[in-house]
Amino acid sequence: MISRAQFLLLAAGMLSGCATQKMSGDQLARVAKDWSLSIRASQIIPVYPLTEDLQPGDVFLVQTPVEEQVKVYLAKGFLPLENLVTRLSPAGYARFYRGWPYVADGDKAPPRPWQFPKDDSPDSDFSRAPLAAFPTYNFSVSRSGGLNVAIPVQSVPVGLNLLDSASANGTITLKDAFTYALPARTMYDAIHQWCRDNADYLRQYEPTESTADGKQAANRFYLRVINRVYLVKTVDVSLFSNRGFALSGSAGVPQPVQLLNIANATSPASKDAGAPVSASNDAAPQPLAVGGTVKLAMATSRSVSLVETFRRPLVIGYLASDYAIEARGKCAAPIPTFSMLEGHGAAAGKTIEYLGCDENCGRIRPWVKQGTNQQKLETWLEKKGGAIAIADLLTGDYAGLRQRVVAELIEPSQ
Amino acid sequence: MALQPPSPQSKVPRTDVSNVVDAMLLDSRVKWIGIVYEATVGGVDTFTVNPYIVDPT
Repeated sequence: MISRAQFLLLAAGMLSGCATQKMSGDQLARVAKDWSLSIRASQIIPVYPLTEDLQPGDVFLVQTPVEEQVKVYLAKGFLPLENLVTRLSPAGYARFYRGWPYVADGDKAPPRPWQFPKDDSPDSDFSRAPLAAFPTYNFSVSRSGGLNVAIPVQSVPVGLNLLDSASANGTITLKDAFTYALPARTMYDAIHQWCRDNADYLRQYEPTESTADGKQAANRFYLRVINRVYLVKTVDVSLFSNRGFALSGSAGVPQPVQLLNIANATSPASKDAGAPVSASNDAAPQPLAVGGTVKLAMATSRSVSLVETFRRPLVIGYLASDYAIEARGKCAAPIPTFSMLEGHGAAAGKTIEYLGCDENCGRIRPWVKQGTNQQKLETWLEKKGGAIAIADLLTGDYAGLRQRVVAELIEPSQ
Repeated sequence: MALQPPSPQSKVPRTDVSNVVDAMLLDSRVKWIGIVYEATVGGVDTFTVNPYIVDPT
């Protein structure tokens, strides 16, 4: 039988385990968010984790309502890309990049000619891809904070070990950045064609209304279509030790790697401490995660710079448009994803001038609230009214359209 | 294809703000409405009415 003291000890142990797991989970989430917030500052939507396998034409099913997406985006810093529905392969690269060397459609469409320029080699050559540039990002890291994933590049934990510090401030520079895209118009045609061909499949994602008893909430689904991606091949990381701040909180922190303990005055490797040194990564901890190499570029007693190069460029962010799935599996007009998430495009459309409610407006207003008249008017506006909103029709500069609505919809029913 | 979301409207007189808001809310995507005072012209207060499909705050 377990004594009371043993039980308390066991309970305490279990609770501390839970707390550690919870803390670790929080730290992991924090990492993704910190990284993503940095990338978001460059006006693109971050990808986390970094991946090579994302390209224009990828279509994702987004299940959360717009306002929920915004909450998730603000809370996590990125949007999980979990439901890949299809990969469109629209032609258009050759035309969009006319005159650009080695850009073609079909099997040779980007990124393949850059990704695998030689059939017998896995090495990439993006030297002919459109270039992009990113600013330098600042960040703070702590060894006790799930460091191995603090930034999705492995040179940060290596750098922190070299600094012999529990925490550091740093800068990260994304070098050898590339981008390529297809125009939104091309994507629009491709996704609408796909929606028409797959209306039966999309019908299961028709918008649903909330039930009166509140058991089922209203839901709306979107297709997120990627039209531009940003890739990075090389990451430069510079770390500056926070030793003054770290000392008081470093109890229990794992011992640093001793291979190249620059900050330790008694370490043989620190003889040159204080003076910048250039070195290869021979002395750095190895092996590292798959897919990249880390090179020590410069180190002093307070700072260390490392260069990490991925085997092939990885996508770090994208731009996309969201298409709401309507009744009968139809796809709606696109909404730019980034603008929506950042709230820049929150106010819908361009401001129009209120021109008063004329006689026809006065007839449409009460009529539209009766029975299924709103649905009739919306269908009519979709087909004959340029798909403008009812509010715009009523008091905007659409006198002719109002006249037709009265003549074609209201008067025949009276 | 669905209808476009309603556009913001300017120079809406105080007496018709409620009707404009009512019309904008016919679109179920509109979740928030911002009403901003513009000016008083000839004793009539006018407002810009902004529909939002995403929380503007």
